[in-house]
Amino acid sequence: MSSLFFDNANAQSGRREALRLTIAIGAALAIGFCITLAVSDEPIRAYLALLTGALPEFEWSHAQGWQVHRIVRFGSVIEDAITLSFLGLAILIPFCARQFSLGADGQMFLSALAAAAVSLWIGGPWYLVLPAALLAALTIGFLWGLIPGLLKARFGANEIVTTLMLNLIAVQIYRLIITEVLRDPHAGMIATPTLPDSALIPILVERTNVSVMLFAVPFAAFAAWLFLMRTTWGYEIRVVGEAPDFARQTGMPVARAMILSMAIGGLFAALAGLHISNALLKRLPVDLTPGIGFDGLVVALLARNDPKNVPLTACLYAYLRVGAQAMERTADVSREVVLVIQAFIILFVVAEGLFAGWYCVSPAGIWQRWRRTGKDVLEARQ
Amino acid sequence: MSGIEQNTPLALELRNVSKRYDNGTLANEDVNINVKAGEIHAIVGENGAGKSTVMKMVYGLEQPTSGSILLHGSPITLNDPRAAIAARIGLVPQHLELIGSFTVAQNVVLGSEPRRGLWLDKRTAIERVREVSARFGLEIDPEARAADLSVGEQQRVEIIKTLYRGARLLLLDEPSALLTPQETDKLFSALRKLVADGVTVVLITHKLAEVREVSDRFTVLRGGRVTGSAPSRQVSDAELAEMIAGRQLPPLQVQRVQKRGEAPLVMVRDLTVQRADGRVQLRNMSFDIAAGEILGIAGVEGNGQSVLADVMGATRSVDQGSISVAGQVFNGQGARAARAAGLTLIPEDRLRNGAAVDMSIAENVIAADYFKPPFSRRGWLDMGAARQTARRLIERFGVSARSADVAIGKLSGGNMQKLMLAREVMAAPRVLIACQPTRGVDIGAAQSLRKELLALRDAGTAVLLISADLDEILELSDRIAVLSQGELVAHFAADAVSANALGVYMTGLARDEGAAAKLDSGFTQQTTRSHA
Repeated sequence: MSSLFFDNANAQSGRREALRLTIAIGAALAIGFCITLAVSDEPIRAYLALLTGALPEFEWSHAQGWQVHRIVRFGSVIEDAITLSFLGLAILIPFCARQFSLGADGQMFLSALAAAAVSLWIGGPWYLVLPAALLAALTIGFLWGLIPGLLKARFGANEIVTTLMLNLIAVQIYRLIITEVLRDPHAGMIATPTLPDSALIPILVERTNVSVMLFAVPFAAFAAWLFLMRTTWGYEIRVVGEAPDFARQTGMPVARAMILSMAIGGLFAALAGLHISNALLKRLPVDLTPGIGFDGLVVALLARNDPKNVPLTACLYAYLRVGAQAMERTADVSREVVLVIQAFIILFVVAEGLFAGWYCVSPAGIWQRWRRTGKDVLEARQ
Repeated sequence: MSGIEQNTPLALELRNVSKRYDNGTLANEDVNINVKAGEIHAIVGENGAGKSTVMKMVYGLEQPTSGSILLHGSPITLNDPRAAIAARIGLVPQHLELIGSFTVAQNVVLGSEPRRGLWLDKRTAIERVREVSARFGLEIDPEARAADLSVGEQQRVEIIKTLYRGARLLLLDEPSALLTPQETDKLFSALRKLVADGVTVVLITHKLAEVREVSDRFTVLRGGRVTGSAPSRQVSDAELAEMIAGRQLPPLQVQRVQKRGEAPLVMVRDLTVQRADGRVQLRNMSFDIAAGEILGIAGVEGNGQSVLADVMGATRSVDQGSISVAGQVFNGQGARAARAAGLTLIPEDRLRNGAAVDMSIAENVIAADYFKPPFSRRGWLDMGAARQTARRLIERFGVSARSADVAIGKLSGGNMQKLMLAREVMAAPRVLIACQPTRGVDIGAAQSLRKELLALRDAGTAVLLISADLDEILELSDRIAVLSQGELVAHFAADAVSANALGVYMTGLARDEGAAAKLDSGFTQQTTRSHA
């Protein structure tokens, strides 16, 4: 299996990429610290909160033995990482076909709704409810992903615009159905009734919502990889993404690959939807905040078109998010500053040329490279 | 170095120059080149032999890792092109970079404009350009718009531009690559005038005939090292070719085939293609290709060749007329249908639509047949089979690649082109459209590609060869048609026409009204005019 997963030729470039990521993140964190220095009276404590706030605390006392604190907080890192992994994959697959589809939000909302609705209607033992909820979510995610693909293939509608608009529509449909159809009249808020126990995905860690969905993450990443690298359709999607003119020249069904990439992306967003409704929230409130799909975009960008990287980048991103909340809560630093630091990390990682080749660095080497990069730019312009 | 007389001053000298790029590639090793003042010096070698790196170092775009560059006897450090220009070195790039909407004068003075106050002094600019062009015998209208000029004229503007900036050492990178024979002649006589005026010219080329025709001396590079240097008139083409390739390259023995009167395999009738804005790109084109025959399409680039290729490969639709293979009309059915009918195509731009450069060799060679067994079974891709095929093609076509998993874009142009051809040959096509099949490919690889094309022809494939390289057209084609401004303007039998005569039709100086290249159409009677 390992030879299937790691092509030998790519092993070295993989290591380089990891090193480059580390340098980029390190540099961003250094800049972040400078910013913290400027705004905080106790910068070190604040920064430590950002870096370690998401971790659980272990404490040992004679009276009680080992005790773990802040397990809830660490649980939310894992919960976020699961959602973000699915959303990252949902965005990454259209990326591979060079489709900048931003529809993960809408797909997730509607599939969460579908999963919740089916869970409420069907009832019965878990081995009936859960597969039915999963199937409903996947169907809706797939179909909602299909729409922008068809619009683009048929009418040339830009997928960025259509997916953003479809997000708005999806969120409103979600709100409408919850308010008008699925509302629990006995609840103190506008929300669906709580899902029956049999529809809930089993929880792994007490006091948190970390469920067995955790195990689905590596499986989903592997499935995405397998689809892209080892199926005929996945191959079409990659060729269309890498070289659309070439794909056209060889007679590939370019439009089909485009549409399919967006619809398959919808399948992964559906998993995120199922996770939210049947594991995290257990009932859907009308005011579920949209926007997490864009965090999925960041995760996909960080993973650089490789599904194998997605769980890792999702963890990293979730860790930062929870750390940010900790920093905001325990220190005199506002959340905005944390957002700035996050933005720096993304900027550094996405700016490919920035740290490329700083692997065996010396100060003189850095200076040389800096000069040469400028010259390359000049040359390219000539 | 013994050939240099002691008393001739050297304009440019490279002394033990080596260049290692950051990625470890050794582009030049211990290179010694002596260019005498007032000579035309050719630097020849295959692609990847290190010619361009030499040029870049002399123009300050790259710096040597070791060794030194001497200009008129004194060492000089060139950190960027500005330093080179200040040292009176000028570069005429292979791909011309004029601003189309500017006039010739504006293009020439760009970057060092004569001013009056805040304003560009147009009159002075025009006068100065006229002055330079008169002094060096490079005729050009300073007030013409650059976009309206022919490629040859644009190149002249680039030369004037370097001279205007005071260049006394002129570097030209593959200057004849895009020119017709007539334009090339004009360029060479202009270069000789420049030399007579004391300018020194360094010329990069891979065309053997040019080395002997225009240069005084030459230096051969192979694998980044100098393998020879001599006065140009003392060597034969065969000797030169051997020095460049490092082995003997016997000239191709091409047997012509005669298919007149036979039934055509490919029939194109009254083909017309228009752009969306109504401009005609191909007009009333008719030609046939018999099985086992090569029809060459000669022409200056941009006269409809790429449209013809798109239409033949069915990636573009036809406005009027028909294309049929073995009596079956296939236009309008898409590229896959064309392939199913046995028609394959090697596109001219291998980096754009010939390959997915970031994907592996294995993933590239299956691009046409990936959806069929053995590469695909029930929707699953069999990468093992793909690799095996890739390895077979690598071996069969003599591609130098470390493994089938290397990204195809990492290969040299020649190796990539071999794989493009290999992919199409693998499909055993009935018809092959080959667009610029040896462009940017070194001599050895070009020859083996041409051999493959001939072998394919002899196996019964109908080949349409679209090439800007006249030598290639003349060498391979059984019949030749000339394409000019979207129309066929002449039709010749093999060995019945010279490059010069083709050039006359290519540039539109002569035309055979209603020419067609059907198997039963007559051949063009050549006019006696040979030069404008």
